[in-house]
Amino acid sequence: MDPVTMNILESTLVSICREMGIVLMKTAYSTIFSEALDFTCGLADMSGDLMAVADYCPSQIGGMPLLVKCCLLEIPTSDIDEGDVILHNDPYRGGLHTPEHTLFKPIFVDRELMGFSVAIGHIQEVGGMVPGGFCGEATEVFHEGIRVPPVKIKKRGEDNVEVWKLLLANVRTPRVNYGDLRALIAAVDLGESRTVQVIRKYGKAVFRETIRDLLDYSERRMRAELEAIPDGIYGFKDYIESDGVDAERTYTIEAEVHKFGDSIVIDYAGSSPQAKGPINATLGVATSAAYNAVLHMTDPSIPRNSGCFRPIRVLAPPGTIVNVDYPGPEVGGNTETHPRIVGTIMGAMADAIPNRTMAAEGGTHSNLVFGGADAETGDFFICYDIAGVGWGGRAFADGNDAVDSINGNCRPTPIEVFETRFPWRVEYLAFDTDSAGAGKFRGGVGYTKQMICLNDEIICSQMTDRHVFAPWGLHGGKQGGLGATLILKAATQEWQNMRQAFGKKSTSRYSNVRITKGDRLRLVSPGGGGYGEPKDRQRELIVSDIKQGYVSLAGAERDYGYSEGTA
Amino acid sequence: MRFSENGLYIERYIKCGNCGVLIYEKKDQQILTHDGITYCSQWCIDWKIAREKRRGHALLRKVRGRDGER
Repeated sequence: MDPVTMNILESTLVSICREMGIVLMKTAYSTIFSEALDFTCGLADMSGDLMAVADYCPSQIGGMPLLVKCCLLEIPTSDIDEGDVILHNDPYRGGLHTPEHTLFKPIFVDRELMGFSVAIGHIQEVGGMVPGGFCGEATEVFHEGIRVPPVKIKKRGEDNVEVWKLLLANVRTPRVNYGDLRALIAAVDLGESRTVQVIRKYGKAVFRETIRDLLDYSERRMRAELEAIPDGIYGFKDYIESDGVDAERTYTIEAEVHKFGDSIVIDYAGSSPQAKGPINATLGVATSAAYNAVLHMTDPSIPRNSGCFRPIRVLAPPGTIVNVDYPGPEVGGNTETHPRIVGTIMGAMADAIPNRTMAAEGGTHSNLVFGGADAETGDFFICYDIAGVGWGGRAFADGNDAVDSINGNCRPTPIEVFETRFPWRVEYLAFDTDSAGAGKFRGGVGYTKQMICLNDEIICSQMTDRHVFAPWGLHGGKQGGLGATLILKAATQEWQNMRQAFGKKSTSRYSNVRITKGDRLRLVSPGGGGYGEPKDRQRELIVSDIKQGYVSLAGAERDYGYSEGTA
Repeated sequence: MRFSENGLYIERYIKCGNCGVLIYEKKDQQILTHDGITYCSQWCIDWKIAREKRRGHALLRKVRGRDGER
């Protein structure tokens, strides 16, 4: 092994992946790409193993190897030609959820296949029951949009026009979808051309040998990390409040973590049978969530590739909420169930590695989707709007304030862009006082966004959580604040939830509610759980929180025993 | 995963009864059955049997968690 070459090559490949993401961001049409960055770019070897990836969306990072490998089982490498681009989104063939589209392009050097350039992105409109994909009341995958098996969207460099026509005939915003798919193709084109340059520079033999060494190195680093964790079987369970269909039913996520020696088995047996509604995770999500949790609890300097995943075995029994069977609905599994799985694994490991785990975070992306015909232009618009949440307190720091949930790493769309692109005016956006769980290290705060509808009609749907079960605290820390979605109809005085206003079964998961001009929508994101006993929090931190408005004086007195006169 | 004869659609989605991985027929992937359930490996059969024994033994089952009451 040549560690210098390996290090340089690894950094170079990661830089290529980052550049792929920048191209995607700059060329996409939708705000979910250009502002929220809900995508990930990577490079895989010819077996589908991940060689390098950029730190965009964690749920897609862990899901990438399974996705590519599943596609290669249906389209063998012998059938892949230079210039082909393969498209796939099928949740039952290694996919994450229907909106997540994977595109990958072979990397040939002198007609020899060396690997794949891969981009996964959340296409915000996929057809189905609701504008924007997140149908909170879906009962089968067919309600959730068009399902695409592995197909070639480009063949030998030329568009496969029939595939394009089929795709774009099944969505509400074909122009935007076309632009976003082109952006994904631009990303894989760039990844391919840059990687070819790198391989030509080092030579094919050195490249292959170094990649093999790199994956082995990541595996050794991960095994060393796991070896340092005390052996044992650790278990934890958390709950999802509703599936949007059977709204009063609670669903269990259970993880048993078996850590022995230098490897780890994460067993989800004990989790609920799959739900009728769309909160089920796919196998790809269950796998990705396990990787995400382990990566968060181990050394972040370990190169992210398939090597570091080798010591992690995931057991996701079929027909459960963590591995949905066809044709169960699944769109919320990738956004809501994924973070709940990560939190459950961290909860399991909280005593074994207290310095590397955190209390529960908000664990939702809010996932408000809406669409309608623009009153001025008549064009159909769609938006997938993400909100940040409070993260859990840690052994050494407060939780992050108002940051996208642990599997997203996305950015909420700036208000200026939001108001320019969509017919809403945001009237209020602020951190919520006392939303953070108290603790020696408090949770992060959530926030409230209130906006007024400017269009004649906007159709809204949502897939969120934490309206019933608040994020839990750890080691004596208190739970964080709940989320909420409320509506104030024009010319009325009473804020109502979606159950009260529209007769929906769930307040957090609903489909196709009609918002009209002058109606106001208020979205409250949950705060994170606290870590450690509140009485152990430093007084100067409490004073600072009061000054910043994170904690009220009354809240400080109640939760921390604070009084202004005490030293 | 059992594909139709013409290869155009999936007739049956097949997963390992323990770990849940997709099992593709005719792709050199190991397929085992135990008590009428399909598994991807002997490891998975052994694990499932061991898990069931463990779950019947309260002392070996230490799952913590939050209160699921509404």
